[in-house]
Amino acid sequence: MTNQPQIELLSVNKHYGGFHALKDINVTIPKGSFVALVGPSGCGKSTLLRSLAGLESISGGEIRITGKAVNDTPPRHRDVAMVFQSYALYPHMSVRDNMSYSMRLRKAPRAEIDAAVADVAAILGLGDYLDRKPNALSGGQRQRVAMGRAIIRNPKVFLFDEPLSNLDAALRVHMRKEIRALHDRIGATSVYVTHDQIEAMTMADHVVVLKSGVVEQQGAPLSLYDTPATKFVAGFIGSPAMNFVGGIVADTGRAVTLDLPGAPSLPLARTMEPRRKVDVGLRPEHLSIETGDAPGIETTATSVESTGSVTYLYCGGSPEIVVVLSERERISQGEPVRLTIAPDKIHLFDPETGAALR
Amino acid sequence: MLSRRLRNGYPKMKRLLSSVTDGKGFDILLVGLPLLFLLAFSGLPLLYNVLMSFQEVDIFSLGRLIRPFVGLDNYRELFAAPEFWPIMWNTVLFVVCSIAGQFTLGLALALFFDTGFRGSSFLRGLFLVSWVMPGLVVGAIWNWILSGDFGVLNYLLTSTGLISENIFWRSDVDYSLWAVVLANIWLGTSFNMILLSVGLAGIPKDLYEASELDGANVLQRFFTITLPMMRSTIGAVVSLGLIFTLQQFDLFAAITSGGPANSSNVAQYWAWELSFRQYDFAKGATVSTLMIITVMIAAVLYVRSTRHEVRI
Repeated sequence: MTNQPQIELLSVNKHYGGFHALKDINVTIPKGSFVALVGPSGCGKSTLLRSLAGLESISGGEIRITGKAVNDTPPRHRDVAMVFQSYALYPHMSVRDNMSYSMRLRKAPRAEIDAAVADVAAILGLGDYLDRKPNALSGGQRQRVAMGRAIIRNPKVFLFDEPLSNLDAALRVHMRKEIRALHDRIGATSVYVTHDQIEAMTMADHVVVLKSGVVEQQGAPLSLYDTPATKFVAGFIGSPAMNFVGGIVADTGRAVTLDLPGAPSLPLARTMEPRRKVDVGLRPEHLSIETGDAPGIETTATSVESTGSVTYLYCGGSPEIVVVLSERERISQGEPVRLTIAPDKIHLFDPETGAALR
Repeated sequence: MLSRRLRNGYPKMKRLLSSVTDGKGFDILLVGLPLLFLLAFSGLPLLYNVLMSFQEVDIFSLGRLIRPFVGLDNYRELFAAPEFWPIMWNTVLFVVCSIAGQFTLGLALALFFDTGFRGSSFLRGLFLVSWVMPGLVVGAIWNWILSGDFGVLNYLLTSTGLISENIFWRSDVDYSLWAVVLANIWLGTSFNMILLSVGLAGIPKDLYEASELDGANVLQRFFTITLPMMRSTIGAVVSLGLIFTLQQFDLFAAITSGGPANSSNVAQYWAWELSFRQYDFAKGATVSTLMIITVMIAAVLYVRSTRHEVRI
């Protein structure tokens, strides 16, 4: 039974008037897993989450929670808890009342409520703030109250709608770890919406990349990084983003010639259809500087940024190629460099469809 | 010498002076002008009115400020008047029932228009018609509606079988007060609706979504989110309603003139009647002073409720 899917989305469609917001979404979420819905703004990820919560109705398909179709189930009967981007704390209630709201609604005994509030407050470190109103709390504390309100219900599914986007960078990194730790501790299924691919990559077991209402690719975080299915996913996952250069497969099918000055040629690890036009994807962290005689991309460093741990190298003009070096290279601006890459690290995409070519 | 004393001897005065020279005095000026205006045209007449309630005033001493002081005689005589308590009770009934009606209908309409159906904002705008109409015009319209012989209300009630013979709304002692209450509810509902609509619009939608996910049904959402979030708005609407209802004069003048036999007389109309019909200015002022006290209490409630707004 442990492998029974907690949530199943079966060809879910959503129309807003003439706008097709979700197109044939199929996602299966196993029990206890942490799933991230990620994509640029307007991709439909929040709509999908709200449909799961029941705050939006879907136009087609089926949503199942623990095997039961919930299309027509109102939110309060779905047994899901949601943490809103705005936190949506009840401003007229104390922290204690905010967290115990759901229990008070179902008229739980006073002792049970007090015990549950004390429990959750201890987990989240909110013990000292129980009698405060939300407006007397900091952003991070409000965030915790919003989580506490969800945790206290012990729901089947936790939904997170960009919960960290209102926090500052340092707190965001901290809360990222904390939410994940909390998930592991509680063991409920979590669905997490974010536009930040780093959050998705670091927190989730399973990442669903959405673009214009379509699932571009889903899978384990590293598999998205290693084998992106489309040019969009390749560019979206990873930071700094992958470099894309136009190119054409050589007559032998074992190398690709790039649309760059001097028409550099890079060897491939596999045989491709000769003379095929392709888009070549090169991750900045996979490129390195060739100091020997091996052939590579001849270009010049137009800008160098050193952060201490890594060095960012911006090379050439159109298109610009970004290189991330983990060793400290003494390269100065305007210096010619030769870039190489391991043949098995080269990604090729169809220029028309954007699909990965393997 | 003076400047030296200003510098050393009167620190408060110095601060006041420097605040003007620093340009900060501009805000004092901005507050001062309307305050002066209020004092001249509201404060002084109010004080004059209170003063009159302790004096013996007749038509010959009207032009003077210093008149025979009679202590609480006016109050004593007023409380002893046979019509005093009936009129006070009428006032309470009028105020409570008008506010209850205006508020309930206003809130219902505000909730209705808040659902945001197609054309809701246009319809809401139309409701303001009743608000922009002068009370005397509203009174005239209601005179026709309430007319005993050919009134629309009687026609409606008889044709639906609710009553068998015409009610003479304006001249029947059992109905005359209610005729004015009815018209006043109609007049004030839209004002209540607009203020309450603003309050409703100020409640973030995600609070409703959160409470829905937390398991609240429609009624629970209304009582745990809508009403508490509207607390300050409701306080303001009810206190303003109290003030406006106590000021309502036109409708009485237009519909019943307080009659028959004082059955629809209320304090504010009685004060006018005493002063300008019976020329008993002292008694009129005494009734007005009693009303000033009531309105002051309402005003304090209003200020308090707007101060205790829930901040998000």
